[in-house]
Amino acid sequence: MFAEKACNLIKELSRCEEVLPPYHTELVKEVCTEIKQLHEQNKEDGAIVANESSIAGYANALYPTLRIGSSAVKRNVRCLLAYHYNRLKTLRTMRWEFGSILPQDIKTNLSSDEIEWFTKYSRSFAKYMTSIGENGLNLCLDLRPPKSLYIEVKCLMDYGKFELSDGTILLLKKDSRHYLPRSECEELITQGVFQHIV
Amino acid sequence: MDPDEVEFLGEKSLVEIVPTFNSAPIYFIGGDVGPFRASIPIRVPLWVAVNLKKQQQCKIIPPDWMDLEKLEFLKEEEKSNKSFVKMPSDHYMIEAKLILGCAADDIPKTDEIRTIIKDIWDIRMSKLRSSMDDMIKKSAMYAAVDNLTLMEINSIRPLLPHALDQIYRIKTNKKALSNRSQGTTSTLSESRTSFSSKT
Amino acid sequence: MDEIDIESAINDVDIDNDEEVQLSLPEIIQLMEENWLNEKFSPEVLPNRMDIVELLLDQITTLENNLKKLSNADFKKGLYQMEVDRIRFLISSYLRKRLEKIETYSTVILEQEKSRVQQGSETYLSQNELEFAQEYDQSIREHFESIMRFCPGITETQLINPNLHTMVFLKSKEDIEGIVIDDGNDENDLIDLNKGSQVLISYKSVNNFVKSGNVHLI
Repeated sequence: MFAEKACNLIKELSRCEEVLPPYHTELVKEVCTEIKQLHEQNKEDGAIVANESSIAGYANALYPTLRIGSSAVKRNVRCLLAYHYNRLKTLRTMRWEFGSILPQDIKTNLSSDEIEWFTKYSRSFAKYMTSIGENGLNLCLDLRPPKSLYIEVKCLMDYGKFELSDGTILLLKKDSRHYLPRSECEELITQGVFQHIV
Repeated sequence: MDPDEVEFLGEKSLVEIVPTFNSAPIYFIGGDVGPFRASIPIRVPLWVAVNLKKQQQCKIIPPDWMDLEKLEFLKEEEKSNKSFVKMPSDHYMIEAKLILGCAADDIPKTDEIRTIIKDIWDIRMSKLRSSMDDMIKKSAMYAAVDNLTLMEINSIRPLLPHALDQIYRIKTNKKALSNRSQGTTSTLSESRTSFSSKT
Repeated sequence: MDEIDIESAINDVDIDNDEEVQLSLPEIIQLMEENWLNEKFSPEVLPNRMDIVELLLDQITTLENNLKKLSNADFKKGLYQMEVDRIRFLISSYLRKRLEKIETYSTVILEQEKSRVQQGSETYLSQNELEFAQEYDQSIREHFESIMRFCPGITETQLINPNLHTMVFLKSKEDIEGIVIDDGNDENDLIDLNKGSQVLISYKSVNNFVKSGNVHLI
């Protein structure tokens, strides 16, 4: 059936919502081949219909074939672009969560175009954040309304020394618990160093 | 909207506290609060009250409406009325949750108060469900929601607006189709995303 | 260290700005909240309010600098910090929401901005948002072009339009007469809004009032 492979691309993506599955080079290539073949066929059929100008376009015997062929191209292209677009959207979310450096295990799942896109996006986004106000504003922080001044956090790894804004130095060890001003912890929570204990 | 965000807006409402300390005013960007004199009641934003209470620096005086007798009356009124009764506070649920949550020791009969507020909420929610049902059946594209509080409005989002958006889409698609059957050959133009390929 | 210091400093800032902008700071925070909600619930990106964003950012920077002088033992320090965090949340969330829409509808938004410039009307994006939108749109375009390079005959256009008919809740700040209900049929029923009234209505019917600040979304 036309566009079945393209549809599989979409299904593959929708099966894993949060994580990014490896870029499916093979399947993408196969979809492209199908599009190309259909496109060539349509061109030929189109030329024939145009030549037989004595018959009105829609009365031509080839007309239904042409309509189906062009719809199949459209559907294929739409799936192909949707696959790529949604991958970029996931990458975008990752930029907000992990910062400008992607973890290696994610990077291996990307195409070279995607890595390039991520670098560009990351740069534009960073530039935009620096432009806000006098000193810039990190939009990846303050994700939720502040609730209380202090929160309890658990340290998930041996992080080493950490200086608070008032100059106090803490030694962050794995499994140690701390009661800290919320504003000081947020970055380490997003980085996965701290876990917020509710 | 995240319930935390509704709470964030509700936390700005003022509540009366009795501080246990003396202090000069606090000059917030959002307005001065204080000076504080021990045992002299003063009005402060709810988020300030909650934080002071957690540090045991004040007693919270419950708002006027947070009174069993008044709430009983309100509940009866809500029950007997077909439409929504005006609530004594735009953020009654948030005020109840936060104040009862941190200052149960300052408020007499907290459990009863909590139950009755929950009852009022439930009555209103069931009214809300039947009016939603009504709206959808009538495909109404407009509704007055005057006496609903933000928390209540938020509880029917995104369900109601979304359902009505879909009804709107069906209505206009139908119209586009019936226009089309009158002769012209037009392509489907209503889809949100369109990828066109030209050969 | 010296309590008087910080508090008189904060007070000074307050007075300075009152002269500059007519609105008091509490009123400006209120306005920021309304714009945050408007941006949250409107399907399209709205005229930017970088003026109040920047004003409030200046306020919190000054306040935070002054806070460093305040002893940690002072209970007021935490409360000041909390207010700073509340305002910063408001601003970040507002700008995040705008950026989200700018990304989703980049092509359409850029076209609209262009025609606004041509007509000499006020643009909706700030200069920095505009640059971001252009770079973003360009990057998506290039990515798609690279995908479609295998078959040069096919030109694809990617257009995602906001649904302006979407239903929104609003609260009116003034008496407004004769709002046309957009009901998908061609019947043009009218309604009047009183100050303080709340309704559920199609965004299309009220978008001008949202932009002019006569109503705000809730």
